[in-house]
Amino acid sequence: MKFILPIVLVAVTAVLIAVALTTANATGKTVGISAGSAFLTAKPATPDQALSNLLLNAKRRNWDEAFNSVSNAQPVNKQSFIQDWTGSYGSLRAFSSLEGYDIRPLHITNDEAQMRVRLHWTTPVGPIEDVRDFRLAREGDIWKTLWPKSDMPNVPSQVIPVTYLRWDLVSGGSDDEWGAKNIDAPHVRIVSMNPLDFAEGAVVLGEVVNEDTIPAFVNVTATLVDGSGNAIDEETSFDKIDHILLPKQVTPYRIDFPKVNLKNVKNVRMNIKATLVPASADPVIGVMNQKVDPDYQGKAVLRGDLFNESGQTVNIPHVIASLYDNNGKVLWVADGYVERALLPQTSAPFTIEIPKNMASKVQNFHVVVNQYSVGRN
Amino acid sequence: MQSFLHCGVVCLALFLAQARAQDITAPKSAVAGEQVSLSIAGSGKGTFYLIGPGISNKHEINLGEEMKLRGDVLRTAGDYQVIVCGDPCKSATFYVMPAKPFSISFLVHPSRVPVSQSDAVSGVALPFDQFHNLVLAPVPINFQLAAGKASLLNKTEMTQSGAAWFRTASSKSAGALQVTAAFQDISAKRVVQQVASEPCNLRLTGQRNAKGILVQTEPVHDCSGNPVPDGTIVSFTANAGGVKSTVDAPIKKGLASAQMDANGAAVISGASGVVMGNELRMGAK
Amino acid sequence: MRRFRFNSSASLLALVLVVGTHVSAVTDDAIKIQFDTAKTGPRAVEPLTQKSILRDYRGAWNSMAAALESNSLDPLAGPFIGEARKWLGESVSSQQKSGLSRRYADQNHRVQAVFYAPEGDVIELHDTAEYQLQILDQGKVIHEERVTAHYVVLMTPSADRWTVRLLQSVPQF
Repeated sequence: MKFILPIVLVAVTAVLIAVALTTANATGKTVGISAGSAFLTAKPATPDQALSNLLLNAKRRNWDEAFNSVSNAQPVNKQSFIQDWTGSYGSLRAFSSLEGYDIRPLHITNDEAQMRVRLHWTTPVGPIEDVRDFRLAREGDIWKTLWPKSDMPNVPSQVIPVTYLRWDLVSGGSDDEWGAKNIDAPHVRIVSMNPLDFAEGAVVLGEVVNEDTIPAFVNVTATLVDGSGNAIDEETSFDKIDHILLPKQVTPYRIDFPKVNLKNVKNVRMNIKATLVPASADPVIGVMNQKVDPDYQGKAVLRGDLFNESGQTVNIPHVIASLYDNNGKVLWVADGYVERALLPQTSAPFTIEIPKNMASKVQNFHVVVNQYSVGRN
Repeated sequence: MQSFLHCGVVCLALFLAQARAQDITAPKSAVAGEQVSLSIAGSGKGTFYLIGPGISNKHEINLGEEMKLRGDVLRTAGDYQVIVCGDPCKSATFYVMPAKPFSISFLVHPSRVPVSQSDAVSGVALPFDQFHNLVLAPVPINFQLAAGKASLLNKTEMTQSGAAWFRTASSKSAGALQVTAAFQDISAKRVVQQVASEPCNLRLTGQRNAKGILVQTEPVHDCSGNPVPDGTIVSFTANAGGVKSTVDAPIKKGLASAQMDANGAAVISGASGVVMGNELRMGAK
Repeated sequence: MRRFRFNSSASLLALVLVVGTHVSAVTDDAIKIQFDTAKTGPRAVEPLTQKSILRDYRGAWNSMAAALESNSLDPLAGPFIGEARKWLGESVSSQQKSGLSRRYADQNHRVQAVFYAPEGDVIELHDTAEYQLQILDQGKVIHEERVTAHYVVLMTPSADRWTVRLLQSVPQF
């Protein structure tokens, strides 16, 4: 008698575990993660199930199981398949993990299907969403995913001389006499400032220029002040700015104030801090084929291609764009990270979403590329 | 009882009187780093206190003897209080003045200045003795500015309250400006970098190649003919078929160049800072 | 009996008087500063700079008084740099070894800015300071006087405040 309750509890627990692990949730939400372990997945009898199996295994990093979900009809390299998911060359994808996914069918027939997936990634720079279309085909009584050919650029071996300027900073010793450490901070200037209400808060945005002849590390802070002169909130631009500005370079900035309404704000105090920093004029990244058009879901996006004109890999490119109205006033500052590394002499596409209420007013734009590279200043 | 009260009041008065100075003989002033002698009247044992900038010492002494204060104890200029506690405590104050000038603190601004700007360069010189005391007595400081072999300034200013200053214009040519402040054989040197002003007459040339269009500037100068420093960003923009491409390229050896991706007819422009260059119209490939 | 009581009352009164004058319990620690920038050159002192200097100079004197009274180096860390920091630090160390301390109370400063550099990187002040100075040995006051001192002060701007680089006492300006 006294053993009945424990037995019942154990049995119920076992049943619940089995149900949870064998049933794929229709929305593809996280079920459990254990890298490398072989949890059960359902038979891919439908396109939805087949794709779910692939995504679940990719999320769990069960690469053998995931690769088994891919069709052999087209030659697919397993290594490049894995790299598609895990990233390479220290890219943002290499530091990210797939958190979840939402699958929506676009088109299904007896033998083929097209599915749209919204992938939710957790990255060091915050959550990122990626929308991809997958094609599937029936092979016998199961469905398999047709994996597209990898578009990783093939960079030929070559020697590229680096002749761009580099600035080093010599700080001097602690015993240096007063007045001997005579290096002025770089002269930078805020050229425009525009506060506006957005979503449930407010933003302050504009542009900054480095008017000096040396590089500057810049950061912009804004303080919102009410009618009595009291500070309501103070925020910085965080990563919505290209912090390292070379001489005569212009960067947009955006400072977000969540839950603040501009009707309570009487004044905005701007503060720009510029400090000396070692820097390099390399790499030079071109922003090609920029245009605004709708994406898959009809949202207005600014898209283009980044071209790395130098000889060094850019691990994590970060694109920041100023969007102007027909008077040249900065309407919005948008940014986006490129998940793939930018190899030397190669391109990678980028997309930045434009808020719906701004899209129709955008007449012009200016894009700058910030970059984080391993082993660089 | 009355005599007892009387005695008490007198003793109280004497106790509260706190006689000072007359029994300690100290010089009115001394020079930093030099020895000072004090004579202290009285007999028996006492406690000697020296309170001053950087020092708070206490010693047991024999009253009536001469006290010698070493120069290294009196190196900081300022007021020093000597207190001798026998019965009662007595005190005296003397000042230590700065020694002769030993070094010059020289503040020059800015470290980088555009050419041909009036009142652009200024400097302040403050003479200090070897113990880092500010010398307040008037000192003639000679200021010299030289760009290469050309002398831009050579004038002498007397310090007032320990400071002398100058202000002058930057020269027309870019390069290092040597700035010196000197007094007799003591001097301090600084360097101010004169840099080119804003780019002037930005001229672009373009050439089609297999990858698109290679755009290049002619040598970039300011309006005085000084080459704009390497590393200055020139922003190139190409508009082709409703699609825009931009490259922010740094000047390298006086020129900036960029590879633009444009196969069709394109209009190419360039800008640096607030200066726009000419427009290039390139035909289709 | 009556005689003894009268004598003991008088002695007690005398004792209270003696103790009362030497304890000098100064309760008002506010530092009063009058700041005059009318004759400053070559650069005029901006109103905001004037406020900052006033605030930071008062803070420096507060810190110095606290450091020399409590024999702690901590209060000196922010407001002082260069030679001023050095000699104040030496004063505190010297006091720690000898068991002495100083107390600055009831401070009044009349400060005049006499020189402000063209680029604003140094300002020279002349401070006529009046304060009650007590010298203590192991917590016992050995000397007390009302002092009028003249200080030549150099202040320079740092990251977030004006700091005192030089605090040099002189017989007169």
